[in-house]
Amino acid sequence: MFGFILRRLLSGVVLLFVISTLAYMLLYVGGGNIARRILGQQATAETVAQKTTELGLDRPLLVQYIDWLSHAVTGDFGTSWFTGEMVSSGITSRLGVTLSIVIGATVITAIVAVIIGVWAAVRGGWVDKVVQGVSILGFAIPGFLIALGLVTLFALNLKWFKPTGYVPLTESATGWLATVTLPIIALAIGGIAGVAQQVRGSVVDALQRDYVRTLRSRGLSFNRVVFKHVLRNAGGPALAVLAVQFVGLLGGAVIVERIFAIPGLGQVAVTATSQGDIPMVMGLVVAIAAMVVIINLLIDLLQGWLNPKVRLA
Amino acid sequence: MFRWKRAAAVVAVLALGLTGCSAGGSTDDSASSDKLTLGVLAPATTFEAQAINFANESPYGQAVYDTLLKANPEGEIEENLATKWEYNEDNTVLTLTLRDDVTFTDDTKFDAEAAAQNLLRFRDGTSPNKSLLAAVADAKAVDATTVEITLSQSDPALLIALTQNAGMVQSPASFENKDIKTNPVGSGPYILDTGKTVVGTSYEFEKNPDYWNPDTVHYDALSLKVYADPTSLLNAIKGGQVNAANTPSNNDLGEMEAAGYTVNAFELNWTGLILFDRGGTIEPALGDVRVRQAINYAFDTKALLEAVGQGLGTPTTQIFPTNSVGYDKELDSYYSYDPEKAKDLLAEAGYADGLTLNMPSSALLGNTVFTLIGQQLKDVGITVNFTDAGNNFIQDILAPKYGSTYMILQQDPDWALINFSIAPTATFNPTKYQDPKVDALIETVHNGSKDESDAAVKELNTYIVEQAWFAPWYRMQSSFVTDAKTDVKTQVGNAYPYLWNFTPKS
Repeated sequence: MFGFILRRLLSGVVLLFVISTLAYMLLYVGGGNIARRILGQQATAETVAQKTTELGLDRPLLVQYIDWLSHAVTGDFGTSWFTGEMVSSGITSRLGVTLSIVIGATVITAIVAVIIGVWAAVRGGWVDKVVQGVSILGFAIPGFLIALGLVTLFALNLKWFKPTGYVPLTESATGWLATVTLPIIALAIGGIAGVAQQVRGSVVDALQRDYVRTLRSRGLSFNRVVFKHVLRNAGGPALAVLAVQFVGLLGGAVIVERIFAIPGLGQVAVTATSQGDIPMVMGLVVAIAAMVVIINLLIDLLQGWLNPKVRLA
Repeated sequence: MFRWKRAAAVVAVLALGLTGCSAGGSTDDSASSDKLTLGVLAPATTFEAQAINFANESPYGQAVYDTLLKANPEGEIEENLATKWEYNEDNTVLTLTLRDDVTFTDDTKFDAEAAAQNLLRFRDGTSPNKSLLAAVADAKAVDATTVEITLSQSDPALLIALTQNAGMVQSPASFENKDIKTNPVGSGPYILDTGKTVVGTSYEFEKNPDYWNPDTVHYDALSLKVYADPTSLLNAIKGGQVNAANTPSNNDLGEMEAAGYTVNAFELNWTGLILFDRGGTIEPALGDVRVRQAINYAFDTKALLEAVGQGLGTPTTQIFPTNSVGYDKELDSYYSYDPEKAKDLLAEAGYADGLTLNMPSSALLGNTVFTLIGQQLKDVGITVNFTDAGNNFIQDILAPKYGSTYMILQQDPDWALINFSIAPTATFNPTKYQDPKVDALIETVHNGSKDESDAAVKELNTYIVEQAWFAPWYRMQSSFVTDAKTDVKTQVGNAYPYLWNFTPKS
């Protein structure tokens, strides 16, 4: 087990290096005149040239990249060119915000998807048809439309929630709930649709296995068979989809955070990328790639715990 | 089954608690009379005074820094840190008398040395507006309350510059602070609360308890919230989460008014074409004044105002603003839409069979507008080949890669406008085109008496309209919305009202 974790972590480091190198090159190629973008149209050509030198953008690409990398490995990701904020503190201060939304959406997705997936598989008939229909609908409607609909109905018309903004949990628990509930629901709906279908399919498949008939013939109740045995066997594929969903939700947070004006990683990712704020984008790339590596590792370990057949030596 | 019921009950109680609390507006971002919450479109690029931005970012700097001079909403100059100002005979030495009762928030005392150091740092810094102090040769403290600014040549716009970011004064003790870009040290009306601030998203300020001029501070706290997305700004306004905000466009004004907000309209920018290449070095045809005039006649500016500007603005063919001494109402309609006249002028210039121009386009300025330009010019025989410059739009036009372009430009005060758009060294005269008559008029504006200068601005405006240096369409309406609790006076020449122009509605 320890060897497996070590191997996965080492491959994660290699992956981080490859991703960060590619990202740097792409940003450099598509960057345009970043100094002009920072200073705006009012600045003279001389001021733009001065800013370019100040940022070190007049150096060869390789020199810039090695400079960035040598600082990055020590944890120094520099400061944002557009807000003057330390990249590391900018990411850590926003990480909690995004994770609270994405983890919240993942938990809701897992719970609701399991409930309705199992329900559809076990009950079949019209329940199955309705769940499948609603799932397709939930999957098909873009996340931003769901977010806008939720804001209009629950924040602007019913006034149950704040339409924009974020209150940290440390400041007010109710305030935090009031600001994250709609974004979590907006993110979760698409995820529920995908995972519920997977759970349904896996449960239907598992219900037809011999061991189910055997367990039933030995007098175990149907509920016990489903929740103690079938769900455990069906959990593997569903977990894999959930892991993919989690990564997908990090992407979905970009749009949701922008619509709800939430100060998370998603919002800063859009802004920094469109501006060409290379230090901030590179910090985000490394942070998100590291998160994906760790989540995949955790899911692999969880798969092994759930199903001894895939347990890793 | 019992467990399910109990779980459902817990969820129901949580949900009720949540909705009950949130309906009461317990979150801390609701606007209140003792706190001014403003919606802004851009985060603070930096709080470091020597590199600080202005225009849409002006409230950040004005919250924490004092300026040497101050401008009222009409743009008239008033005292601030400087109580008196006086030029020598040839306007090359400006002497400022400073207050002696101002202290920075790090307890450093403000004096002439601090003022002089800030002026020189801004001149040598990387603010986009550093050219405001380009004429400053030196600044030195004569004594604790007197600073003398020596100019390499007179600068009619210097006093205005000292009311803007060029006049902001940061504590000299904080010059080398590592966190100065996000943790400013000034003497202004507010202090940035770095603990509550989320850089790039929301900036929270508390009133400076030791501020020397408390009568101008109308709120106990200030919150600047960044809305990068127009939809989130609209939702924040409809949800009553901001007292006031500037709007990225006029698209949502109806919904904002329906939400109880007042639209404060002002005309800050002009839009249309800049015909850079008056010498014909890139596009030989543009070197002929008749071709440039034909382009002016080709545009149905009233229709364009309706189609592009939603009818909000005023058609014009001049770039000087209405508050300029050079403004002439008749020049708003100097070139009325006349495609036949445009064709005649092109024929006279030797282009009876038409001509082709290259122009940049960019989604940053919308796509419709470039289609309309192509159509209107095609109607008189001018074919436009557009090249998508994307994010490099400004870079490419200032390179200069093109002889003409569509653009939106701010209507600055006269001297700033001349130096930004007309003078041979102007940023938006990238071909460095020179005309002896224009040079002579600029010289008079620069060094003439007040009357001579005013007359020269007027003549300059008329001349560049006749010579068709530009093809303006209309002055665009900019809109700043305020809620029922807030009064504001828009600021002449700035995208964002100055902070002291906000007052609680009585």
